[in-house]
Amino acid sequence: MKLSLNWIKDFVKLPDDMDLSRLAYDLTMSTVEVEGVHDLGKQFDGIIVGKIVEVLPHPNADKLRICRTDIGGGEIKEIVCGGSNLEENMKVVVACPGAMVRWHGEGDLVEIKNAKLRGVASFGMICAAVEIGLSDLFPCDDDHGIMDITHIDAPAGTPLAKALDLDDMILEIDNKSMTNRPDLWGHYGIAREIAALYDLPLLPIEKFVAQEVEEFDVRIADTERCPRYIGAKIEGLYVKPSPFQMQSRIWRVGMRPINALVDVTNYVMLAVGQPTHAFDSDHIQDYIEVRRASEGEVLRLLNDKELALSTDDLVIADAKEAVALAGVMGGAKDSILPETERVILEVANFESKGVRRTALRYDNRTEASSRYEKAIDPERCDQALSLAMALFKELYPEMKVTAFKDVYASKLERKEIDVELSWLERRLGKRIPNEVIAGKLGIMGYEVSFDGDKMHVVVPTWRSTGDVSIKADIMEEVARMYGYENFEATAITTSFLGAINQLDWDLIRRVKEYMAFRCNMQEIFTYPWMSDEFVNAILPDTEGTLALATPPAPDEKYVRSTLLPNICKAVQKNERNFDEFALFEEAQIFNGSKTVCPYDENEKLPLQERHLGCAFAGKADDIAALFRAAKGIIGDMPRYTHMESFTFKKDEKPYWADEVVWLNIYLGDKKIGDLGLLSKKAALACGIKVLSTVLVELNMDAFVPFKSRTNRFEHLPEFPMNDYDLSFLVDRSVKWEDIYKTVLGKKSEGALLKDVKFVDEYMGKQVPEGKKSVTIRLVIGSGEKTLTGAEIETVANSAIKKLSKVLGADIRSK
Amino acid sequence: MKDKLEQLLQDGSAQIAAAQSESALQEVKVALLGKQGAVTALLKEVPKLDVSLRPEMGKAVNTVKNALSEQIEARREELKLKASEISPDFDCTLPGISPKIGGLHPITQMCYDLNDAFRSMGFEVFSGPEVCSEYFAFDNLNFPPNHPARESMDTYWLEGHDKGSAYEKLCLRPHLTGDSVRYMQTHKPPFRFVYPGRVYRNETTDARHERAFFQYEALIVDKDFTFTAGKVMIKSILSKVFGKDVPVRMRAGFFPFVEPGFEIDMGCLVCGGKGCSVCKNVGWIEIMPGGTPHPNVLRSAGLDPDEYTGFYVNISLDRLVMMRYGVDDVRLFHSTDLRFLDQFK
Repeated sequence: MKLSLNWIKDFVKLPDDMDLSRLAYDLTMSTVEVEGVHDLGKQFDGIIVGKIVEVLPHPNADKLRICRTDIGGGEIKEIVCGGSNLEENMKVVVACPGAMVRWHGEGDLVEIKNAKLRGVASFGMICAAVEIGLSDLFPCDDDHGIMDITHIDAPAGTPLAKALDLDDMILEIDNKSMTNRPDLWGHYGIAREIAALYDLPLLPIEKFVAQEVEEFDVRIADTERCPRYIGAKIEGLYVKPSPFQMQSRIWRVGMRPINALVDVTNYVMLAVGQPTHAFDSDHIQDYIEVRRASEGEVLRLLNDKELALSTDDLVIADAKEAVALAGVMGGAKDSILPETERVILEVANFESKGVRRTALRYDNRTEASSRYEKAIDPERCDQALSLAMALFKELYPEMKVTAFKDVYASKLERKEIDVELSWLERRLGKRIPNEVIAGKLGIMGYEVSFDGDKMHVVVPTWRSTGDVSIKADIMEEVARMYGYENFEATAITTSFLGAINQLDWDLIRRVKEYMAFRCNMQEIFTYPWMSDEFVNAILPDTEGTLALATPPAPDEKYVRSTLLPNICKAVQKNERNFDEFALFEEAQIFNGSKTVCPYDENEKLPLQERHLGCAFAGKADDIAALFRAAKGIIGDMPRYTHMESFTFKKDEKPYWADEVVWLNIYLGDKKIGDLGLLSKKAALACGIKVLSTVLVELNMDAFVPFKSRTNRFEHLPEFPMNDYDLSFLVDRSVKWEDIYKTVLGKKSEGALLKDVKFVDEYMGKQVPEGKKSVTIRLVIGSGEKTLTGAEIETVANSAIKKLSKVLGADIRSK
Repeated sequence: MKDKLEQLLQDGSAQIAAAQSESALQEVKVALLGKQGAVTALLKEVPKLDVSLRPEMGKAVNTVKNALSEQIEARREELKLKASEISPDFDCTLPGISPKIGGLHPITQMCYDLNDAFRSMGFEVFSGPEVCSEYFAFDNLNFPPNHPARESMDTYWLEGHDKGSAYEKLCLRPHLTGDSVRYMQTHKPPFRFVYPGRVYRNETTDARHERAFFQYEALIVDKDFTFTAGKVMIKSILSKVFGKDVPVRMRAGFFPFVEPGFEIDMGCLVCGGKGCSVCKNVGWIEIMPGGTPHPNVLRSAGLDPDEYTGFYVNISLDRLVMMRYGVDDVRLFHSTDLRFLDQFK
């Protein structure tokens, strides 16, 4: 919202030496966010009133003239100009060298310089309205017409800003910062806040008192949606331009002047925040009725939109039909027309939510509806009526009110609040003297009385529509007007409750740091909704997968029941730029097939778990390495992050996994996740064309953190350990797990075979069909002595014997 | 001849010391001790001397010969150790090989920085479910029944759960504040806790607007707590996170769940408060709303608002992270683009 400082000064007398940046700052701190202060006059620097003394032909150009122009101080300058409406004695706008104008109203501002035009020196430029941004105030039908200000009472040489009263400061207020304050949507409301900030008197608006006239027929069918309606029939009016001062004010705060009748209604709204409307009285048949629309009732608005209304819409109607959409916009047919001579002035109060619903229903929010939406109090009608009547009287001294009616169906109750002063002091951390509180609240319209520790506050009507209702609201009023910055900082005082010890949170962080910093994986964030393409690729069906009622896109309706679809999407996206990468995400998943009540027994929620999803993407030529790297990272995770270990089992193939390359992950006998290669079919469905992807998903809620570190220190071996490598051929179907168990057997305390490690396996040309060559490493040693070669051989031979006997291994080398 | 010998030893030693490579040293050796060498030449002179002088001079020449030989060998050893193990053309300007390290999402990093700061002040970490009922999203928080935020153009309601009572309607949580009530209902006051997490709003996205974003809320509830103590709390947290003293100001603001409510600004760190494009020439950047919990919120948590009060802050982590790194498009955070994420190591 834009506000004119001059206009505010109509209602509160500001000192002449008022520091405007201070004012903007104080308003921002205490009331609304002032986004900017714009010096309107400054853009007219170097632009003055000139009077054309003589118009001479240009020697070198038919369309140009040389205007001998009086620019004040007895100076006559020659200015070359192409204007089509140049006349002697015409008052024009002269941009002197150094002024900034916009050529033909287009492009950037440019600086005027002394120049020769077609060989004739010209002092500055005579401007068209569009070139100095005033085309709304000085409309001109002719593209080549220059701005005619002959009617403006100012001698040549007067700065234009002064002549047109444009020396003003415009305050830009962030609308979002005052959605809760219906009283601030006009100059009067802001003036009231400024008055309270600086303890200045607020000037009243003189009250209009209706003469004894005929009663105008106003009916309210829905008093809940329309608590008050004032209708006044006024004669002796006609359509003419409003005075320049009024037009200028309307224009400078961002609206367009139309004609005097419309301008008065807009001016009143901008001044006091209460919308008003004027109907052409000759078009209103018999009476005004405020009622709900009938289903499908047709109304054409001022902006030519034709609406088929619903029964939730409130309309203003006459005996025949709807004439306006209440609180939103007038109808096209019955509003002010060029031939209007009599009007019906509407000053009414409409219920906020209804107006909002209607405005949104037809995507037709207006200056009026956005004000009604904030919940204006019905008492404000009096202010608006008074101001409107005063303005009509001023513009049309001969005008007469011929019929009048004020239907005030449901009167607004002023809120009354009791505040204990001791409570206020405790919460503010400071005692503010009663007279300061009463003074500030008084200027803002509160009635305040004290009785010992009790302060009784009667809230003004304009704050009683929901804005101020409890004592915390009063505390806020006092604190913000006293100045938030005038409260000294106070230390936080709370009791010590013991050290923070949240093992579960620590574990989540350790897991993520392990993935990122030890395992070279990048954390990603994805949206909770999933693309159908990836859902179909990864999930067997959407049973139990929740969906959004209004999804961000038609194919992004499902919310995640697993992290893998979105992780696959990330793989597909990054495949373009990288041929090897690993990523992970930690996020909540939603399982619609299970309902839980973890907090409130009435709140039935889908089961929600914290999951960890990972993808390891790499070239397709070494899937074994990719899989083993992933398995290593997951298998070692518990050890590095200090939690109960996992085991791997082949139990139930995940839908998305390759036929062979997959494992289930267990914690005790509870399945907590899967690990596997994304099947070729699923990868293609995901659009992953080149890389192979190993996926992991784990339920982090199942993780069990250790209360403290549990591994024990082991003494270093006193005698050397010996590595002994064995290579042998076995059937391809023999698994490493079998080899390991077979060789190591049951570990006993004094056994010399300490460990068996996998080194390598090979299948290929040098190996017979159906066989593979496996290399393992035996770790042999003793805690009591250095072993002899013969003793080591004995251990190795025993291993060889087991391998051949149990697994049919054929030793190739040792 | 004695003088000549003396001179030879002196010159020879100097030449050996001056040799800068093994090949240069070899040349010196040849010039001194080789067949045509200066020492060899002198040795050949000895038989021509008077017999009485021969033994003495022979001995003297041999002493010099041995001394020079030793010096040459010592110098050779020295040069050998001094020499590079690799070609003298080795290129030290080749780029280093970086360690292979992944990374945490920049928002996670900021979240952990804040966790550290808040936990150092005795705050617990908490989180609630991302799918919640209208009751917890709005009713508990003093949002009036027809508040615009409840509408489907602002909040993501779940299909099949978008009608009915406030307990029956389910949505992706539009803010975290509802979770503060969950904590308060299940713990005993006084409270000090943070509850970071993802929230969702049905919005049109652009460089400054997202549908999914990360917030960080903190709540302190105690018997007496003034808003000025809240300011001290925010100031100490921000100063710890940004590593320097950060000016903070609190100004009037309105949010249904607080009374009084504040917009909290921090001094622009880019220009130091002088005004720049980042802070739109104001010198301040709006980073969070905050304020005293509304009495109705405390009531829904089962607390007596006359007894208890406190302070909320609701930090937009996305915005804080954007400011930390100068990121100019909020959508990048959910892009999953490793080229972007890789920059926050």
